[in-house]
Amino acid sequence: MAAALLRRLGQTLFVLFGISVLVFMVFFATPGADPTARIAGKNASPETMAKVRHEYGFDRPLPVQYATMMKKLFITRDLASYVDRGELVVPEIIEAAPVTLSLATGGAVIWVLASVTMGTLAAAFRGTWIDRGLMIAGLIGISIPVFWLGQVANLITQARYHDTWLFSWVPGLGYVPFTESPVGWFKVLIIPWIVLAVLFIGIYGRVLRADLVAVSGEDFMRTARAKGLSPARVLLRHGLRTSMITFVSLFGLDFAQLIGGGALLTEVVFGLQGVGRLTYQALSNLDLPLIMASVMYSAVFVVLANAVVDVIYVFLDPRVRDGR
Amino acid sequence: MLLKFSQAIGCAVALSATALAPAFADAPAPGAPASPHAGGTLRLAGQGMLGTMDPQVSYLHIAYQVLNVVYDGLTTFSKSPGPLKRQAIPDLAESLPPPEDGGLTYRFHIRHGVYFSNGKELTPDDVAASMRRIFKANSPTAGPYYSHIVGGAACLHDPDHCTLAGGVEPDDQNWTVAFHLTHPDSEFFDRLAFLHAAILPADTSTHDVGNNAAPGTGPYRIVSYDPNTGLRMERNPYFKQWDAEAQPAGYPDAITYTFGMDPEASVTAIENGQYDWMAENAPLDRLGEIGSRYADRVRLIDFLNLYYAALNVNIPPFNDLRVRQAFNYAINRKAMVIHAGGPTVSIPSCQLLPVGSPGFEPSCAYTKGASPDHPAQEWQAPDMERARQLIKEAGVSGQRVGIVSPSVPSYVAMANELRSTLADLGFVVSVRAITQAVQFTYIQNSDNRVQVGLTGWNADYPAASSYLQALLSCGTFIPHSDNSINISGFCDHDVDAIMDRAASVSVTDQKAGDALWAEASRAIMAQAPVVPLNQVRWVTLLSARVHGEIRAPIYEVVFSKFQLR
Amino acid sequence: METQTAASAPSPSRASVPGPWRMAGRSLAANRSAMTALAALMLVTFACLLAPFYAGDVARTDPFTSNVAGSFMLNGHEVDIMQPNDNPLHLGLSPVGPTWNPSAYMLGADSQGRDVAARLLYGGRNSLLISFSAALVCIAIATLVGVSAGFFGGFVDTALSRLMDIMWAVPVYLFAISLSIVTISQGLKIGPFTIESDNLLIPIFIIALVYVPYAARPIRGRVMALRNAEFVMAARSLGVPQHRILLRDIVPNVSTTLVVLTPLLTALALLAESALSFLSIGVQAPAASWGTIIQDGEGLIYTRPMVAIAPGLAIVIVVLALNILGDGLRDALDVRETSRRGA
Repeated sequence: MAAALLRRLGQTLFVLFGISVLVFMVFFATPGADPTARIAGKNASPETMAKVRHEYGFDRPLPVQYATMMKKLFITRDLASYVDRGELVVPEIIEAAPVTLSLATGGAVIWVLASVTMGTLAAAFRGTWIDRGLMIAGLIGISIPVFWLGQVANLITQARYHDTWLFSWVPGLGYVPFTESPVGWFKVLIIPWIVLAVLFIGIYGRVLRADLVAVSGEDFMRTARAKGLSPARVLLRHGLRTSMITFVSLFGLDFAQLIGGGALLTEVVFGLQGVGRLTYQALSNLDLPLIMASVMYSAVFVVLANAVVDVIYVFLDPRVRDGR
Repeated sequence: MLLKFSQAIGCAVALSATALAPAFADAPAPGAPASPHAGGTLRLAGQGMLGTMDPQVSYLHIAYQVLNVVYDGLTTFSKSPGPLKRQAIPDLAESLPPPEDGGLTYRFHIRHGVYFSNGKELTPDDVAASMRRIFKANSPTAGPYYSHIVGGAACLHDPDHCTLAGGVEPDDQNWTVAFHLTHPDSEFFDRLAFLHAAILPADTSTHDVGNNAAPGTGPYRIVSYDPNTGLRMERNPYFKQWDAEAQPAGYPDAITYTFGMDPEASVTAIENGQYDWMAENAPLDRLGEIGSRYADRVRLIDFLNLYYAALNVNIPPFNDLRVRQAFNYAINRKAMVIHAGGPTVSIPSCQLLPVGSPGFEPSCAYTKGASPDHPAQEWQAPDMERARQLIKEAGVSGQRVGIVSPSVPSYVAMANELRSTLADLGFVVSVRAITQAVQFTYIQNSDNRVQVGLTGWNADYPAASSYLQALLSCGTFIPHSDNSINISGFCDHDVDAIMDRAASVSVTDQKAGDALWAEASRAIMAQAPVVPLNQVRWVTLLSARVHGEIRAPIYEVVFSKFQLR
Repeated sequence: METQTAASAPSPSRASVPGPWRMAGRSLAANRSAMTALAALMLVTFACLLAPFYAGDVARTDPFTSNVAGSFMLNGHEVDIMQPNDNPLHLGLSPVGPTWNPSAYMLGADSQGRDVAARLLYGGRNSLLISFSAALVCIAIATLVGVSAGFFGGFVDTALSRLMDIMWAVPVYLFAISLSIVTISQGLKIGPFTIESDNLLIPIFIIALVYVPYAARPIRGRVMALRNAEFVMAARSLGVPQHRILLRDIVPNVSTTLVVLTPLLTALALLAESALSFLSIGVQAPAASWGTIIQDGEGLIYTRPMVAIAPGLAIVIVVLALNILGDGLRDALDVRETSRRGA
């Protein structure tokens, strides 16, 4: 086990190294990316430009610049933005993380509850109109572009029907920290949560139903039913537990991607200053330090989650271990 | 200062009469004006991105609006309404000193009894140290604005050992600071009034202070600043008003600024009374709504700005004067005005000097029935016939032209208008939208061979030179550099000579100088290195509780003048 | 045993034998929802193909040229495209709203005074073209990767799988956005060829690239399963050359997976394309795609919500149809989807 973990760690470091080198090289290959003039300011004299270039180390060879940046990012943690002079990127990421975490966690709670209900109901009423209706609803959820859904939600709750009793409670876009006001936090996030969850409810509900249906043909389920257990009990106690294996592994990966900035479209539409939106802004401004920090942050989460899922998988399902 | 800016005069909106607030019995906070309108917390909203809080480094208008109530210079611009073209007035200096040695020396008497927010008194040494710090902190304008101070050139090359010896001489005995220049400068007071010449305590770090603002002499001090979430200012307890024009005492007790609000959300929040003012222009989509429902809370603010397309005069097809003129004749400036929100908030531009700036004289060479020799008063309609004729003469039809625009929707819409016009003239046109942060430096570098660069400009202080000389003189064209603000790469020695004369005449005779600037503007447009498009007005929405005249040229709005009671 | 046995093996067999495909076709034809989806897709595609006809002969408008200063005829009256707002300050102008008259701004104008209905059709052409091409390119690359990894195993597999891991470690949309921002700013220079930034190949290749891991995994899994299947083992033991096994036994048997993946990937690609265009780093102005129209509509959401709603509905309909079709194909071809959808 220890050896496996070590190997995982090695692979993780390798992946992070690969991504960071890639980001770094792509940045310096991009025309117009040279940040000197932007840092120096409009109409700065050539002397100021030279001073800035030297101060930021843009006159040194690329490998040296890469090493310096990594040192500043991971060891001294004082890497500063190229766009906002003096703005440190590590605290910026740390501040954006709770926003993303709130968004992803709340969304996840909703989608897990809704999709388990949906999948189980559909499997229980297999072949009926309930099943078909739920599955089509799931497919529609998968088919809606999340940013558009968010926009429509905003149109309804912020503009068109904001003055009606139904949506007058909806606060303006933006984030309210939980520590500042738990109620405000909930109010401001509930609509983004639902919008974010819609896609996943569709995916997970359908996956769960398929698994439940597949599992119901297996021997142990037949045995359970033959023992005279009620169908509902069989489905919930035995079927659901077995089907959870796929569900959990899917969840681990999706959740990690969301934490890692995958929810950026939702964040952009709802004006939530999370990791995704931060990364998007960094990319738009070609702010290499911030891009590097956020990409590293997100890669760490996703790679770690992959590892965790692998481990859980091995524990949950011994067959996998043999199969690999 | 780029892309966002200020100015107030002649607005169509009548101000609502100031409501009388109930008198408050409690004593005003230290530094507060003895006025029934003082008190309360002003709540500002905006997208943020204010950058550093170092007044000598920051180069963003939204930061300038905050910093101008925190810091003072020797001179400043009046913080009350008035015409767009205005002269600098004394601030930390007792008065504007007369020029000595034919404009090479200025001796400022420093105001007594001014205190920084850390309780220390302002001294001539602080002034001298702040001037050195402009170079040590790598201020963006160290070169263009301040290097003509004696010793400035040396400081530019070696900032760490900058002394400005013989350039800035503090005198504790007489409480004066003397400045010596290498050549006379008609804009020296303006430059000292600009943010980068703010006076900080002499012991301030010479590095960019970033998020930890240094003490200042203004009515407010920055208590906390987080670039991602917000900013809070409270009263500077040591502030005593010395001149209501230069640095008025503030009405609000505190000012909070919340970041991360997009303009649509801000408008809604201000309508609902959650915020008092927003940093961004009201979105075009909401103008109808706020115009009909909140007309009394809308302020229109004039400011010196200009949107234009820079034509690269060094590569085809715009190296041919006829082609540049044809583009100027063909462009439909009415469409540009509509893109900006209609005639109430925008006017067509025919020259590089915005309406209201010093040296501006109405003149439109490129409109139906006009020519560079017989300019009209103002723009009427495009002259496609004339344009097509010129294109035919130049024989450039069918050539490829690339437009580079910032990837902001409003700019992209303007770029598409340019595209349609050029396509009508027979060019094969493509538009490239680049993220705004990069586009502005990208179009400056001659190596990128940009043919048409779409951009906007507004000046740091009201002076004709900051448009004409900054944007189109030989000296500001630096080939192969990202910092070459003369985007057209235009260099005409006759035009340069007129501008130099205008600058030197202005030192002693402002009126004659202005006439020369107007001549320079016409001479430039005869060469058509740019296509001026339009000038806009700022539309800002206030919450119901804000009273008083908050507008002032240069700053757009002055936070200390928002009355909340 | 001869190689022929492979063809008659009970498990999925070669494409040259028509049996399973015909059966799948029959089963698909009997699937009512899949057929409805197919019909809807064909209808949308057909409508979008008619875009030039609609713009030229019905609406008589140029959907790419800015037209804010113009006017048009509606019921015998001349109407300004940008209409002044009726408020005391004369603030702002709004584009004309939906007229529901097919010959005159049926769905209204956008903020540049262009006909939204005509742009919707032109935008559909680009969206469909990009998403379908991206799906094909993606499947081609993924097949190459998946088959090599699955068939050769060992070092090749490890190297390719790690590469896929790296790509998979970055959230899909972030990855696509990074690539787009870099290429959109300057276009791409590959040797002597320059791809301009407004070339549709850029979004096609970017979207194809980011979904390669998504498609390569099930293909690799399928190939690995096949490699250990009896008929392949048998062929190998008989000394049949590797390339022959690959071409005659492996690839045809992977094709069912590919067929099922195509509509699903097209759906994902369409969503990705619209997201990129929404962030204005996909299809470049003045060309349209459904995503760019939503982006145009964002600035008009308060006054003219139709501009953003119409293209969004179009996306939902097409993606839904593609997903239903994909499900139908999967059931018909009996392929268990082994991969997950991108977030």
